[in-house]
Amino acid sequence: MEPIIKVENLDLYYDKFQALKKISLEIPQNKVTALIGPSGCGKSTFLRCLNRMNDLIEGMRMDGTILFHGEHSESSAYDVIGLRKKVGMVFQRPNPFPMSIFDNVAFGPRQQGEKNKQVLKEIMEKSLKQAALWDEVSDRLSESATKLSGGQQQRLCIARAIAMEPEVILMDEPTSALDPLATQRIEDLIEELKKNYTIIIVTHSMQQAARISDKTAFFLMGEVIEYGNTADIFANPNDKRTEDYITGRFG
Amino acid sequence: MGSKSLSRVDRITYFLLTIVGLISASFIVFISIFIALKGVLPFLTDNLGLGSVSLFKFLTQTVWLNGPTFVSTAYGAGFLIVNTLYIAFLSLLISFPIGVLTALFIAKIAPKKIAGILRTIIELLSAIPSIVYGLVGVGFFLPIIYSLARSFGYSSSGGSGTLATVFVLALMSIPTITSISEVSIRSVDQSIEHASLALGATFTQTRFKITLLAAKSGIFSGAILAIGRSLGEATAVSLVAGNARSGPTFGLFDITSTITSTMLTGLKETQGIDYDIRFSLGIVLMVVILLTNMILNYIKKKVGNVHA
Repeated sequence: MEPIIKVENLDLYYDKFQALKKISLEIPQNKVTALIGPSGCGKSTFLRCLNRMNDLIEGMRMDGTILFHGEHSESSAYDVIGLRKKVGMVFQRPNPFPMSIFDNVAFGPRQQGEKNKQVLKEIMEKSLKQAALWDEVSDRLSESATKLSGGQQQRLCIARAIAMEPEVILMDEPTSALDPLATQRIEDLIEELKKNYTIIIVTHSMQQAARISDKTAFFLMGEVIEYGNTADIFANPNDKRTEDYITGRFG
Repeated sequence: MGSKSLSRVDRITYFLLTIVGLISASFIVFISIFIALKGVLPFLTDNLGLGSVSLFKFLTQTVWLNGPTFVSTAYGAGFLIVNTLYIAFLSLLISFPIGVLTALFIAKIAPKKIAGILRTIIELLSAIPSIVYGLVGVGFFLPIIYSLARSFGYSSSGGSGTLATVFVLALMSIPTITSISEVSIRSVDQSIEHASLALGATFTQTRFKITLLAAKSGIFSGAILAIGRSLGEATAVSLVAGNARSGPTFGLFDITSTITSTMLTGLKETQGIDYDIRFSLGIVLMVVILLTNMILNYIKKKVGNVHA
């Protein structure tokens, strides 16, 4: 199957600092791809290239190509809003909007002009069910989202992303602010979600990458050292540096 | 902290701070008692043979002084209360959107240098004394409003009246609303703005639906302070209001008067009942401001913080 995202020779600079060096990766559809590596290795920066969130950073410069469905999504002519509708994102810290649970999930569709209450309700219910949150909040949809627990908030953020019916969901260390039980629930959810979505997840936990991903890319100092099937990467790494990292010798 | 752990210096400091705190707090009591003692006189005494003022009539009637000064006790302040609230509300209708949008521009849109300059200008504006705003009203707004009224075929008293007062108060309130809203907008968590953008919302949608929403508590506080300033402003208002003796006034080109402008007008040239009754107005003003603040704070709690 054609990869959904194809990155070729991607360089990225913050002013003079080069954060990504000649990255080439192919992201397969409906799989979980994990990006691992020590802090500052460029994995989050790379993730943010895929929905152009790096555009917000002053002094950011990018060379190379990022093909989304074969189209140059990195070009300035590409419709960024359209890209972000198809490539959703879940952030490191749960960041629900200061509004009701319902309004949080309905926010994305509403900004696209959806006003029909019935339609919004269906989207909301479907998204919350897919995010495995419906049973816990169905009786208090009009309550503030900020009153939910951290784990619930993060699942709400996933539901909010799902409500846009994206093809890809980017997750930037989505469990790093959560306790082990909440982490477990998110991991189960990711397993469930990959049936319908392509998931790319940045994680600092190698165990997490090993548990949930199909593909793993190991980043170091802005380069991809090794990329392949997760099982292979963890069992027989080709590169000494990968082996050192996954065996905990540095990082 | 037990008192044993306090050194002598600590204890002296503690004592001094307590005294200073009590003195500051006692001012409000002193002012309230002073105004109240003076202000109740017209209702309780017979005002040197003129007869006492009826509290009910005072609060409801629509003519400030019915009859000649120093002979009549027929003072009515009902229309002043209405005028004061009406003018404060109209000025907020102008200052609120301008103030909040300016704040949004400074906090989120303007380049850093321009934002810094604008912030300084807003600070300077809030430091300008109200009499200067009043002079601007007289010298700048009155002629414009006068010609404007004439072009509508309406004869105004040299431009004085509701509209001029509303403009002057709006101008005075904008810096208050802007600076408080700006701080609150700037402190909105960027992460939720990014979440909105990542959902495919535009910058405009994000600023209006997420940033302003998250900052609404602070924005509301700015509006409350601005209303307080509008209700209490006397000097500038008395220069442009036209000092109507009856009302209420709803016409924009008609002369009007507020509680404060009536208190101020002629205060130093009068005596007896006509002097004392201004203190009664002072009580009314304090009660109006207190009630307005209580109502607005209640609304702020009910509406402003539901999901915060």
